[in-house]
Amino acid sequence: MQKQLLDIPQENQLSRKLRRTLAWNIVTSTVHQSRFRFGLVLVLSIIFWAAVFCLFYDAFSFIDSMHAEVISLLFNTFFSALMVMMTFSTGILMYGGLYRSGESSFLLTCPLRAETIHAHKFTEALWFSSWGFILLGSPMLIAYGIVRDAPWSFFVMIVPFIVTFVVIPASIGSILCMLVVAGLPRLRLHALSISFALVAVGIFWISWSTFSSTKSQLLTTAWFEETLSRLAMTEQVFLPSWWLASGLLDAALRGESPDLTNQSTREALKFLGLILANALLLSLIASWVARWTYRKGYSNLQAEVPIRKRRQLFWLDELLTRGGSHVGNPIRLLLVKDLQIFRRDVTQWSQFIIFFGLLGLYFYNLRSFNYSHVYASLIGHLNLAVVGLIFSTFTTRFVFPSISLEGRRFWILGLLPIDRDQIVLSKFFFSFAGGLIPCLGLILLSDSMLGLPWSTIFIHLMCSLALCSGLSGIAVGMGASIPNFRESSPAKIAAGFGGTLSLVLSAMFIILLVVTVGFTHHFNLLQQTLGQVPLDTASQLLGSSGGQVVSLCIIIAGGLLATFLPLILGIRAFRQLEP
Amino acid sequence: MIEFDRTTRTYGSKVAVSELSLTIPRGELFALLGPNGAGKTTTIKMLVGLLRPSSGVVRVCGHDLVKETRSAHRHVGYVPDEPYLYDKLTGHEFLRFIADMYGIPRDLSDEYIAREIDRFELHEFANELAENYSLGMRQRLVFAAAFLHDPDVLVLDEPMVGLDPRSVRIVKDLLKKKTADGMTVFMSTHTLGMAEEMASRMGIMVHGNLKFLGTVSELREQVDMETRNLENLYLEITSSATRVT
Repeated sequence: MQKQLLDIPQENQLSRKLRRTLAWNIVTSTVHQSRFRFGLVLVLSIIFWAAVFCLFYDAFSFIDSMHAEVISLLFNTFFSALMVMMTFSTGILMYGGLYRSGESSFLLTCPLRAETIHAHKFTEALWFSSWGFILLGSPMLIAYGIVRDAPWSFFVMIVPFIVTFVVIPASIGSILCMLVVAGLPRLRLHALSISFALVAVGIFWISWSTFSSTKSQLLTTAWFEETLSRLAMTEQVFLPSWWLASGLLDAALRGESPDLTNQSTREALKFLGLILANALLLSLIASWVARWTYRKGYSNLQAEVPIRKRRQLFWLDELLTRGGSHVGNPIRLLLVKDLQIFRRDVTQWSQFIIFFGLLGLYFYNLRSFNYSHVYASLIGHLNLAVVGLIFSTFTTRFVFPSISLEGRRFWILGLLPIDRDQIVLSKFFFSFAGGLIPCLGLILLSDSMLGLPWSTIFIHLMCSLALCSGLSGIAVGMGASIPNFRESSPAKIAAGFGGTLSLVLSAMFIILLVVTVGFTHHFNLLQQTLGQVPLDTASQLLGSSGGQVVSLCIIIAGGLLATFLPLILGIRAFRQLEP
Repeated sequence: MIEFDRTTRTYGSKVAVSELSLTIPRGELFALLGPNGAGKTTTIKMLVGLLRPSSGVVRVCGHDLVKETRSAHRHVGYVPDEPYLYDKLTGHEFLRFIADMYGIPRDLSDEYIAREIDRFELHEFANELAENYSLGMRQRLVFAAAFLHDPDVLVLDEPMVGLDPRSVRIVKDLLKKKTADGMTVFMSTHTLGMAEEMASRMGIMVHGNLKFLGTVSELREQVDMETRNLENLYLEITSSATRVT
């Protein structure tokens, strides 16, 4: 049989067909197998989009009087930050997709051009790295357009502006990734690490110099003008983010006459053309770079010898192994195993550090602003909810699948002289102990930066303790009740019915606790601050000392129930399980 | 059909394959044996274009794997030790993708897909998503994909892993028929019995060097008469520091 090599359009058509088929099958199988999760994600996404839209609508309405001074800077800062993030995120995604994935190994053995394989993985990476931009950017821009009474053409141009813009940083990220892999194989890790460090230092310096003003008092006109002047560095005419911001602002201009409006629209189209041209050019360059460097880079990367580390026992592992009684030894050894796996899994601890680190940074900067006592209390409660929600994402994403992930290794545990109860309990202690310090530490930081009284801090710490315990209990209990031993990907396990249910129960638990403590404490604060407050009987009762005690009892009871009920049910189910 | 011309591949300071010169003609089933870390997988990766040789040339049907990669791939079917399948494609969709990729016209591809589904008995699950397949099902589908475009060269890396005895028999019979029809097969395996049964020639690789190249009977002639069992012969060669040929 005469086999034909495909030409470029045919290869691209094949790649598009593959992506369409995969996308369709993913959607239909998700709808068919995980209707609950699909529906929940859809509803929550709509709620999130609507909430962001309302937030931006209020914000743009609030600053509409200062439009000329503020909006250009805000847009430029927002889009330039997104541009930098997208460059790095796409670079990382392309590294994984082109050089470390099973699919790329398969496609490289097929009669396909290197640039076709690159384009295929690039499209995938573009979707992954830009969905956040679309989710945040679309409600923001639509809200802006409504507030400014923009012409209909503005709303039509939002999509092409966003789509063409995201290609620019994504292409840059992809080009840098391929060049680093092909050109600096030995220094790759060092080059990336140094780049990250430099960017992180740069961002930190910019943030610090922008917001740590010593010349003007905070939240005054002078401070405002000073901060805006520091953000002016993002308004550079050669930056794609400036083209995007300028194009959108021109598109949203409604002139005094239709001719003026049309003129602004034409200006916007020029910027759109500029972005499109640069996006196409960078895509072409990325394709060329792939053609000349991808296969060579892949081969060089395969040939790299991994550095074999001689791993000595970490001091904490040694302490856990040797310390304590003989009775608790199996649980401690299981804890050591999970701790070692956690430390050696970059995905887990890096996400942990990033999320909690960002929260810590935000809480630390709370001291920069002056709040009224009531307002500070409200922010404190919201921060408590945020800490709980962040921790629940970790328990759902990593703790819930932990028992299922023992699936392939379960035969090892099954042969050891340990009870199944001990396996479940070790997961609970790992999650609880691991989350307790960051959660308590963050709440302490938040409340002290807000200047809250020690009584409030105590309540929040108790709440945080209950949240750590309850969320760990829910995740471990659900994981033991509904394990999935066939699946090896923690993301897929967490995305299943059990993981989704665990997330929903965790969210309900957080809301219950925070609303309980929030209502009673808030009304109590109102009574203390404002004296005789004309509240109804129920509100007065909630705000009284008795109400405080009742809320504390609810916190403790809720925490104990959320901890022990799912754990007991999980242990019972796990005992009878046949993996 | 397959030619290694003084091919060397290094990983840093370690030489994984050293000056390999080997020609496998049309219609031959060649088995490459060796202990773990001998260089078999590196050799196969160079043969399918995943690795570039540090020096020397690898050719398939006269095409250099580095300079004419796509032309060489056109002639090759590959069954890796850990095959990749798209979890969200059905078996039928995956075979359709392979057929389109090798430029098989639509009227022929339907016929070829039906042929491979029939040959590897994929009827029961061809329309299910690959994520639901067992290891044996996945391996059979990968074989079907490798044979779909009637390759001139077939590269197999531990091909029988996960296959039940019936499937193993199907593959063996197919390989015998295909080599008789002129297909060249390059197989890496730990299964000595399979190599003895199937291979026209075999090579034993140790530390990147081809310690032996020839038929089983040639191997027996060159080693001590007391150790006629292939397993003993193999163990003796791989533990010996002296080159036999």
